[in-house]
Amino acid sequence: MIRSLFNLLVFPGFMFLVLSGLIFEWLDRKFLARFQRRVGPPWYQPLADLIKLFSKEDLLPKNANDLLATLLPLISLSSVLTAGLYVPIAGYTPFSFEGDLIVIIFLMSVPTLAYYLAGIISLGIYSILGGGRSLLQFFAYEIPLLIALSGPAILGGSWSVSSIMESQGRLGPFIIFQPLGFILAIVGLIGKLKRDPFDIPKATSEVVGGSLTEFSGAKLGFWNLVMDIQAVVGIFLLIDLYFGWTKMGYPILSIVIFVIECLILILILSGTSAIFARLRIDQLAGLGWRILVPLALLQIGFVILMGV
Amino acid sequence: MDKISIPIGPQHPLLKEPLSMMVDISGEKVLGGSLRLGYVHRGIERLAQQRTYVQNIHLIERICGICSHVHTTTYCYAVEALLGIEIPPRAQYIRALMCELERIHSHLLWLGILAKHIGLDTIFMHTWHDREMVLDIMEEVSGGRVSHAANQIGGVRFDLDAEHDKMIRKILIKLHSQVEGLLDVIETEPAAMARTKGVAPISPDLIKAYGVVGPVARASGVDVDMRRDAPLPPYDQLEVKVITHKDGDAWARTFVRVEETRVSLNLCETIIREMPRGDVVVRTPRRIPAGEVIIRSEAPRGELFYYLRSDGSDKPARLKVRTPTLAALSLLPVQLSEINVADIPVVLAGVDLCIACADR
Repeated sequence: MIRSLFNLLVFPGFMFLVLSGLIFEWLDRKFLARFQRRVGPPWYQPLADLIKLFSKEDLLPKNANDLLATLLPLISLSSVLTAGLYVPIAGYTPFSFEGDLIVIIFLMSVPTLAYYLAGIISLGIYSILGGGRSLLQFFAYEIPLLIALSGPAILGGSWSVSSIMESQGRLGPFIIFQPLGFILAIVGLIGKLKRDPFDIPKATSEVVGGSLTEFSGAKLGFWNLVMDIQAVVGIFLLIDLYFGWTKMGYPILSIVIFVIECLILILILSGTSAIFARLRIDQLAGLGWRILVPLALLQIGFVILMGV
Repeated sequence: MDKISIPIGPQHPLLKEPLSMMVDISGEKVLGGSLRLGYVHRGIERLAQQRTYVQNIHLIERICGICSHVHTTTYCYAVEALLGIEIPPRAQYIRALMCELERIHSHLLWLGILAKHIGLDTIFMHTWHDREMVLDIMEEVSGGRVSHAANQIGGVRFDLDAEHDKMIRKILIKLHSQVEGLLDVIETEPAAMARTKGVAPISPDLIKAYGVVGPVARASGVDVDMRRDAPLPPYDQLEVKVITHKDGDAWARTFVRVEETRVSLNLCETIIREMPRGDVVVRTPRRIPAGEVIIRSEAPRGELFYYLRSDGSDKPARLKVRTPTLAALSLLPVQLSEINVADIPVVLAGVDLCIACADR
């Protein structure tokens, strides 16, 4: 009982995920700043931003549905936190079961749908535009991401992340067999996190703040937290699926390797957002369906042939 | 999908200066747009009639925050034309040097804004960093980063010494290498190309019908440049390479401005190298003989037109300024149709609006 409570609230639950979300956001902002010849924020800046947002006045347009606007960020937050519980962290999985990869993927797509709804119910012109764009983007990146993520599952012969990691212990990390799948998963993750160059739903110069234009105060704070934790869970998941040899016998060593892998992935994400211009939504849809999906299918075909 | 109107401005992250646009969209397609101007109208032309010719220099410097020097330069040449005097060659060269530096920093600023609008923040940060070097030169020689107060009737207010000379040469060399790198990125980066190639092309006929000038006109293949076509001294002694492109789309506008930055850098080096010695100012009377004059010059955004009429007193009877942005603004509603919502920033950035200039 106490152990479950500890798992839910401290590690790998709420506290750990929120803290790593803030740290990842800081690292990302710092890396991006260094790419752009800036100094970047101090380590406590994401936390300070969060505290500031929670102390601000909470406003919504007059006819907007306040109950739904409050529930949506909370639902998204709880689903990404739940997804975080099932992702092995440095090989540690308290709640693992067969099929948890599918649960994680499902829970991770809840915030996108909530984001779309948030745009529609908050009744701003820019919010509606941003919401519509987020749904379009969802269809562009989600399919290649799903196909790419099923690669490790097929190779590992299981839909459970921890058994996929175990088979990587036998066969070696799956990035060796599926480098293409890894790149596609990264691209899909960038789309999911709405990061530059796929920040189309919240492109400042086009739709101001996207779906969240009308949000403020604690609700916006929760949304920011959702994005941060989504990034954490996505990064952990990619590490587990593609670099999953973190179960090494020595816990300290596997933790160190896990942290280094996290840093590398954050660096990749910051780097891509630094060097690419934002695409148009039609260009993204074209990229998703004409390039990413065929490549992902190619990778799957390769994996299946390898299994035979 | 139904038609909805989205307001862009007067306050919008896309705009640095107040301008109001209503853009009709259907889904992600833009159907058309309308403009509302006048948010920064300060009545400068009327104010100029109430002040003396000397006071007006400082007033006119404040028409624009980016191309402030070319405004005072054109005004001073107009007053000097009425007086019938020619300023010393060294003063002419210093004026031209400041004009070219201003063009470089204006184009770099513009490049940064375009990059920011298409989500390429890294280029934005780097161009604005490099732009600081130009501002450093301007601050060093004139004392002001934005308002330089460089001109006075009959010459310029400062002289360049050997140390300035050395510093400018050093910074220009550094800037050259930086700019080459930046230009490489903006001209070859695939995502940036995808966002600008083929976006909102303007035909040369449309350019001529609307009287659009400057880099926008040159990007559509209309070969106009006041530095060559109606040269003020010392441009008559300098060779100005005019960059044109035939495509007329957003990418061509980028290309033209980027190449012009290169040309201006070379021009700065020539000016520094060939700078004649001598005085930088001649004494002039306070009262200006009656008459009227038209002076045209090439501002960073295109042809700048000054009409000045004197009635023989120490205050102008009429001062009329036509800025390049006005023509570009009138073309904007035409460009804002049959494009994507995501192209609005590219179109807006492409014409390089200076609302403060246009409204005055």
